[in-house]
Amino acid sequence: MSRAALLLTGLLAVALVFPWLAGGYALSVGTLILYFAYTSQSWNVMMGFAGQLSLGHALYVGIGAYAAGALFYHFGIGPWAGLPLAVALAALAGVVIACLAFRFGVSGVYFALLTIAFAEFTRIGFDHVSWTGGPGGMFLKVEQRDSIDLVHLRGPPALYYYVMLALTAGALALCSRLLGSRAGYYWRAIRENEEAAQALGINVFRWKVLAMAISAGMTAISGVFFAFYNNSLFPEQVFNTGRSIEIVLGSVIGGVGTLFGPIFGAAVFTLLSEGATEALRAVGWEIPGSKGVVYGVVLLLVIVFLPQGIWPPLARRLGIR
Amino acid sequence: MARSQGIDRRSFTTALAAGVATSLLPLRSARAQPAKLKVGVILPRSGTLGLTGQSCQKGADLAPGVIKELLGVDLELMNADFESNVDTARTRAERLIQDGAHVLVGPFDSGAAAAIAQVAEQRGVPLIINIAAAPQITEQGYRFVFRNFQTATEIVKNGLDLVGELFQATHTAPTTAVYMHVNDTFGQAMTKGITAILPQRTQLGFKILDDIGYDPAAKDLTVEVSRAKATKADFLLLVSRLNDAVLLRREMVKQRWNPMGIVSPGSPGMYEEQYFKSLGKLSEYSISNVPWYNPQAKLTKLVEKAFLKQNPNDKLVFHGLNVGFTFEAILVAADAFKRARSTDPKALAEAIRQTNITDKMTLGGPIKFNAKGQVEGIGSACVQNLNQLPTVVLPSAAATAKPVFPTPGYKKT
Repeated sequence: MSRAALLLTGLLAVALVFPWLAGGYALSVGTLILYFAYTSQSWNVMMGFAGQLSLGHALYVGIGAYAAGALFYHFGIGPWAGLPLAVALAALAGVVIACLAFRFGVSGVYFALLTIAFAEFTRIGFDHVSWTGGPGGMFLKVEQRDSIDLVHLRGPPALYYYVMLALTAGALALCSRLLGSRAGYYWRAIRENEEAAQALGINVFRWKVLAMAISAGMTAISGVFFAFYNNSLFPEQVFNTGRSIEIVLGSVIGGVGTLFGPIFGAAVFTLLSEGATEALRAVGWEIPGSKGVVYGVVLLLVIVFLPQGIWPPLARRLGIR
Repeated sequence: MARSQGIDRRSFTTALAAGVATSLLPLRSARAQPAKLKVGVILPRSGTLGLTGQSCQKGADLAPGVIKELLGVDLELMNADFESNVDTARTRAERLIQDGAHVLVGPFDSGAAAAIAQVAEQRGVPLIINIAAAPQITEQGYRFVFRNFQTATEIVKNGLDLVGELFQATHTAPTTAVYMHVNDTFGQAMTKGITAILPQRTQLGFKILDDIGYDPAAKDLTVEVSRAKATKADFLLLVSRLNDAVLLRREMVKQRWNPMGIVSPGSPGMYEEQYFKSLGKLSEYSISNVPWYNPQAKLTKLVEKAFLKQNPNDKLVFHGLNVGFTFEAILVAADAFKRARSTDPKALAEAIRQTNITDKMTLGGPIKFNAKGQVEGIGSACVQNLNQLPTVVLPSAAATAKPVFPTPGYKKT
């Protein structure tokens, strides 16, 4: 068994028994780490694999959340049935943006700005859609359930943890397959040198659009989870630029383009920020906003000292390819 | 010969007495009032809602002292900042409960309230919402969620009713208004409410000539104010935030537009400290109809004294809404704890359900929760800026001054 497989098995075993050992707080932090790990992994397909910087991924979280949430709210259709629609809509949105951008040669910073713009005007648009509650928000019915109801994704906090764990593991497996596939090689070729890739006969436009569609579709699944975990959706909250930045952080800190980077990065920045809050509390200092400061400092340190992220050098030290 | 190791009569009697005493101890302890109630206060003290969260925190900070004086109950506050982030709100609530909070109070945000409500419900710990207006929060059938604040619909209804009272009290009858509002989430929600409720309030007797939305981050409102002025409306109905309210007032002066007054049917901005600091005398006479505290109430005097002790350079009136409702949420918890004589969450929730607090700080009827956990009949006040202070001018029972409407022109201010 390779070291990577050993590490993965060990991590999975710890993750599986975690809810039995953890209290409510640790479980909610664990769920949050997995949520960020998953969304960051989804974003990684776009930036890490295909080299296209998106700073508006909250758009797909929102589309997924509202698609599945609205189906449940208006027609009582559970999240699993709503999932395909959510993924399809987000992927379609991704394709439209990608076609618009890549057809007209919009790339780099300008492409990033375009993604922010789409997320922003979708947020404003949802403020005017009364069918989804408009700015007043959409509240999904929360029934009193002590037992597990997988069909409607209702149950104790451990249920959400395991769902998120399964999604993260699934995303890792999918990304691993993608990286080893023809698409993965093409994307990396495009990422390293788009002109050279095109000169070699790769249909750059098609493969970039595909990366966008997959990334958007994957992100929409986290939106479905978000809707049923929080049970309330506000355009201001779901499509927020801050959410897009949080999605990016895991990969940037962990290592853009790596498989374990987003997971590792999400764990590092969530645990550090929670840890800093706890440490300050323990010494009797209540500093509002300390989490934001920790995010900033960690990001700064990583960019200055480990521009490739924390995971690649650590993996080398551990002897993991 | 060794002495017998058996128990003699004296030892037996002593042991029996000790045993009885020991067996009674837990019983006595269980029946006694627990030492203190741990209140988890969860607020957005940083991030976009940071300023308001800090303002609410002032109400929480003074609560233990005032409540000890009032009810003789000991409280321990456990503070948590959820950084204006709904994901963090959830983890902070879990942390507070894990650390032993018997009841949660907060969070000044409907999204966060919805997330925390689920944690409270799952953990079976009562949540008393201080400020959050989304009506749906108390429509979910929760058993442990309570709210002592108006819903968004009630805020608009009460705000518009007070517009009518203002006209009556000042013997005026404006027939036209121009409606200006921020185009953000809050502004849209308020507009929706006004559009739905205004046609039902035929007694108000004015019609809206134009509806002008603007970006809350606008740096210039010249065009919007010109358009509003061109309508020649009698007064300006305004739903604002802080910065745009300052900008708009300045622009009105610049364009020499003097309507009968500026009236907000339930939005922040014009009663806030920064509005006065930025505008000086130009802040005078602006009117906000908002949920407010009763300056004449006995409890207000107590709270104000404690507030000034803790914040000697501050004025309660600039934090009235936030302090009032946060303090009352903790008061509800303390009152329930006193009656329940227990920190058991179920007993506390049951006691909260039976709450009937008549001696309160905020306006309106007694604090009594309905079957859904919502307090009904919370009042709003017509707050007018007079002598550089937000002053209650209506309802007359709580007023400390008479309303001024139509307001003197800007030259006279």
